[in-house]
Amino acid sequence: MSDITLVIDGVECRAAKGDTILQVARRNDIYIPTLCWMEGLTPIGSCRMCVVEVEGNPKLLTACTTPAENGMKIHTKTEKLKQYRLQILELLFAGRNHFCMFCSQTGDCELQRLAIEHGMDKVRYPFLYEPFHNDATDPNIQLDHNRCILCLRCIRVCAEKVGAHTLDLEKRGWGTNITADLGKMLGESDTCVSCGACAQVCPTGTITLRDFVYRGRRNDCDDQVESICPLCSLGCRIKAYVRTGSVARVEGLSANSPDGGQLCHKGRWGLPKSTERDRLTAPMIRTGSSFREASWEEALNLIASKLGSASKAGRAGALLSELSTDEELSVVSSFFRDTMKMDKVDGFFGNMLRGFVKGFQPFADQGIRPFTGAHNILESDAIVVIGANPQEEAPVAASYIRVSTIIERAKLINLSAGKNPFDGITDADIRAALPGEMEKVLVSLREAVEGGPEPKEPAMAESARVLREAKKPVFVIGSSLAEHPSLVTEALNLAVASKAFFDDGLGVVPMLRGGNCLGALNTVIGESDWLSESELDFLYVLSTGMVDEDKRSLEAMTRARFVVVHTPFMVHPLVNMADVLLPAPAWFERSGHYCTLEGERRRMNMIVPPKGNLKGLSVIMDELAGKLGLELQPASAAPCENVYEAKSPSTSARTVSLKEVR
Amino acid sequence: MGKPKIASVWLEACAGCHMSFLDIDERIVDLLGKVELTATPITDIKTFPEVEVGVIEGALGNEEELHLAKELRERCKILIAWGDCAVFGGINCMRNFLPAEQVLKEGYVDTVSTVNPDGVLPRQDLPALLPQAIPVDRAVRVDVYVPGCPPDADTIYYVFSEILEGRIPTVPTDIMRYD
Repeated sequence: MSDITLVIDGVECRAAKGDTILQVARRNDIYIPTLCWMEGLTPIGSCRMCVVEVEGNPKLLTACTTPAENGMKIHTKTEKLKQYRLQILELLFAGRNHFCMFCSQTGDCELQRLAIEHGMDKVRYPFLYEPFHNDATDPNIQLDHNRCILCLRCIRVCAEKVGAHTLDLEKRGWGTNITADLGKMLGESDTCVSCGACAQVCPTGTITLRDFVYRGRRNDCDDQVESICPLCSLGCRIKAYVRTGSVARVEGLSANSPDGGQLCHKGRWGLPKSTERDRLTAPMIRTGSSFREASWEEALNLIASKLGSASKAGRAGALLSELSTDEELSVVSSFFRDTMKMDKVDGFFGNMLRGFVKGFQPFADQGIRPFTGAHNILESDAIVVIGANPQEEAPVAASYIRVSTIIERAKLINLSAGKNPFDGITDADIRAALPGEMEKVLVSLREAVEGGPEPKEPAMAESARVLREAKKPVFVIGSSLAEHPSLVTEALNLAVASKAFFDDGLGVVPMLRGGNCLGALNTVIGESDWLSESELDFLYVLSTGMVDEDKRSLEAMTRARFVVVHTPFMVHPLVNMADVLLPAPAWFERSGHYCTLEGERRRMNMIVPPKGNLKGLSVIMDELAGKLGLELQPASAAPCENVYEAKSPSTSARTVSLKEVR
Repeated sequence: MGKPKIASVWLEACAGCHMSFLDIDERIVDLLGKVELTATPITDIKTFPEVEVGVIEGALGNEEELHLAKELRERCKILIAWGDCAVFGGINCMRNFLPAEQVLKEGYVDTVSTVNPDGVLPRQDLPALLPQAIPVDRAVRVDVYVPGCPPDADTIYYVFSEILEGRIPTVPTDIMRYD
């Protein structure tokens, strides 16, 4: 790769052709100030802070956009450059309202940091005092144009990473502004997905998030902890900022990862908002319509007495959240399955997961990993969305789909019963009711791709043509498909016929809502849906309180005679169902692993220490076993990384007959 | 020659910079051994004598402030602009985004808590507003800029120490702040 050599500030640097001067300098620890530049976004050289002098060239060149050339002699720290940069900063300060004393972002501001770094102790230019509007129409995101320096980071992240392309520029010259949807207020935007990426990248106080502004600036925070978001199986990496023992803000982590450091609206707001909710801090036992605080000893004795008799009668069950860590699921599974020998164990998303498992099975039997990491959508040249609403189910996957379609020019086909979730950017949109019509559509498409009769309907014909020509198609299948396992299988058949073969598995991305759905498959998901018909004497519920419970689970809890709810938050209606409440650590107080769709076992780290009178799950299960005269057995479940392990390359997959799943 | 004299004035600002000056704590004893504080908000002397060092806290927002700034400039050898208001205009600049008349009306008539049925605006009894609040160096020459809201006590002390050593200081970047 080191095919060229250049000298920067007297240091000989080796670089590859195509590297920019800035990239080479950073790799060699040579500091060049930047403002509009941001890792992972297209460099535009608009702010001119990164100007450098190149010997033999009379002009100053922007390091972020100028390709490094062999033999270049570059100076980055001359007096002339320092004066130019200072002048740029003074002009920026004079242009709009950059008075730090009444800005919420002071201390976090990159413009401020650079000005201080350059010793800007005055502004030599007349201040313009031109009033711009302050767009406070969005419930979460505040956009104060008076503080904007037009670095266009927000526009670029919105277009290049989120794929929403909500933001753009309006007007010209001094009046240039950021605008949403070609001239709307942000709150009125139809395209904004409320992910907050624009605020994460904003170097000044222009775009701020109401929730985070007064919880503490980044530089007020005592600690930063890297962890992952537990809300869906993409397991996006997050950085949590801690201030006085609580989570002050959550941001996406790395601009270099496929997601570009973005988070979806659920992660960005849902995670920090949850820290404000009422916590359960001690075991509670129901007395009539209310609860009284109890000791762990008393609560566990009560639970053991109810569980003992109920499990002997086969009328005890356990319902666990797929947002729990692998370690937690493993401990609970070892207690209920291996120690208590109970078969009534399931997850909140049990039915959806069983549907997927059943649909995947014929391919798993072939040794094929029946899905691929969602980030592969970015590598794909044709995307087929089947019965899915990615913006709801796994919003970052929706970003991948938009970016791939709009920027990388991948073809996008939507097959759904209802509204097209990608209206406006699809190449073909087909309505098909589930399951019957959808099955016909999938079969007819597969036959056409395999060289069978061409479908007459234009959208179908176009879809078949796209899939025949596609080199790396990806199939995004929604959780609605899991209600009909044969449709899952047929979608996978279409993937095989279209040669959707990726290194890690078949080019299928299932929309799994729980963060550790894959980890739950081998630990807690039962063979059948016992919960829907259950008449239980005892039901243990492990909840993370982060997603609403579905009707099936709530009804089962209502029917059960004795319900133990183990949860971090006083969440309703869950709490109303409980006879005993056990406090659990919240997502920011736990550590453990999640098996993500991306094929990695990602670690969730403890962000702040647990509060309240908590006990570890393994201690609780061990004590319960002891009270029942049993010894906690080691978990028999295989580690989750073995679930759907690829034993054969995806290229060896063959289509299967639907009879195998019916 | 006696001790060098210092005069300071609190113009359109919150007095925070003078407070921050007092935060140099016991070092003030040492400083007072070397300099004489003349007219300052601390000594409550109103008229500036001829001094070596003049200090202005605050922006210039009305005729009186403009006059005082010019007067102090004439009577001092080195003029220091203390704090964001004096250096950049600071919080006073919020009104520059509106016409001065509208600002007066907002403050004296339109605010919900104001009882002023006749809509009387201050005329002779208060100094006239300048069209805009301006940083000190827009009216008079400034020799030393000390930004910060307020500047840290250490920064203020550093600036005086440097001047006493016969140097005209600039605030080093590691102690400079704007908030």
